Amino acid sequence: MAAPLFGGRCGLRVAVAGAPELLAACRGLHATAACCKNRAARVRVGKGDKPVTYEQAHPPHYIAHRKGWLSLHTGNLHGEDGAAERTVEDVFIRKFLRGTFPGCLADEAVLKRRHNELLVCALLLRRLPPAKLYFLLGYSEALLAALYKCPVRLCLQTLAARPVYKRL
Amino acid sequence: MAAPMRRVARPRPWALRAFATVSSPASDPQVANTLKTENTKTSKSGKNRKQIPNPRTTKMTVGQDWMSVYPSSAPFKPSAVPLPIRMGYPVEKGVPMAKEGNLELLKIPNFLHLTPVAIKNHCAALKDFCTDWPSALDSDEKCEKHFPIEIETANYVSAGPSLYNPKSRVVTLKVKLSKLNLDDHAKKKFIKLVGERYCKNTDLLTITTDRCPLQRQNYDYAMYLLTVLYHESWKTEEWEKKMTEADMEEYIWENSRSEKNVLKTLLQIKASEKTSAVTKEELLGSEEVENYKKSVVALKNAGDTENNLSQYKEAVKKLLNLI
Repeated sequence: MAAPLFGGRCGLRVAVAGAPELLAACRGLHATAACCKNRAARVRVGKGDKPVTYEQAHPPHYIAHRKGWLSLHTGNLHGEDGAAERTVEDVFIRKFLRGTFPGCLADEAVLKRRHNELLVCALLLRRLPPAKLYFLLGYSEALLAALYKCPVRLCLQTLAARPVYKRL
Repeated sequence: MAAPMRRVARPRPWALRAFATVSSPASDPQVANTLKTENTKTSKSGKNRKQIPNPRTTKMTVGQDWMSVYPSSAPFKPSAVPLPIRMGYPVEKGVPMAKEGNLELLKIPNFLHLTPVAIKNHCAALKDFCTDWPSALDSDEKCEKHFPIEIETANYVSAGPSLYNPKSRVVTLKVKLSKLNLDDHAKKKFIKLVGERYCKNTDLLTITTDRCPLQRQNYDYAMYLLTVLYHESWKTEEWEKKMTEADMEEYIWENSRSEKNVLKTLLQIKASEKTSAVTKEELLGSEEVENYKKSVVALKNAGDTENNLSQYKEAVKKLLNLI
């Protein structure tokens, strides 16, 4: 956890019994503002045993440089409406997929909208037998189409293992 | 041999996993892995063998019909696209990631369904529904002559559950007034009625309607407006006869104050000189008065320009030299 930076230390050095690593802790007066490290969508570097996908390995500032967008629609274009509505729909659909295919999603789902059709492209692991996968596919399509009153297509791709990009 | 049994859902240490996948801790290890994968020994029935068919790329011939693989727009399918595409920023001393399981290839829009052969077939199919441009309308002037009214509409394409865009209801109607059958009074009344919608330089009337919710309704309303304007401008109401000089948009010399003043002045001058009595018509018809009339009309209608003012000066000098 990033420790807040503080200036003007004027306090007692407190030795905490039984916790020698906390000897350095100081009840100080924080005269400057805390500047916390950015933690958004970042996987912290570890010992080198954590396999991450391409999507997870790149923090958000690589969007449009090394990463594309996970959700494509016209709402964010100049002069177009509906950006907020599409975003809320996206959040729900991702949660829904995470619950419908528990443990099977290899990576984030890609949502594409073409006119009023919603295309969900998902990468799945081969954890469920094909019959169950097909059932879940039909179930999600029917339910999402009923919820959003627009045609929904689910395009699934199964993988043997998560595609590892790096080990952090 | 143990019959395939459902795993009890409890946290298991990682080492027990016989499955070859390496998953990140973010995945849910507690979900029952119902796919029997640990049975690598061939069992009695073929049921338990992993049945993942070969990708379609292995069964493709060089001369195949690509349109049957990608008949319409579809996401990128690595098992159906026989190209060794790689995409992604490579790790150090590495190569971009392969196409299997590549999310970047899924994210981008692809045009695999729009090969030149596919487009040719589309055009051939659509040709039956197309007609030629009428050969008689081969120039802009002819189009304007036969179809003087121009309608401008905009349709918007966007992505979302609703295809209706409120901006698409705006309809603009453009017509040149010279194409309408209007006489002098009707034209003046028409221009007064429409106000700012008429441009004098191009003689173009522009009516923009957006008060109805549908484009069709706005188009009908625009046509209705044009019809009503046309008929109203031909009628002459009772109160139009009370038009004063301030209402007139154009300066007319006849019966104007300027004409009367000039006549009065000239008559007075002539009377004081006791020359032969000259009639009004002769005075009006004389060249100096004509010049004066032209300069005054130009000044009032066109405004104060150097040319107009100098013309007026010359005309007045000549008029008063008459004395």
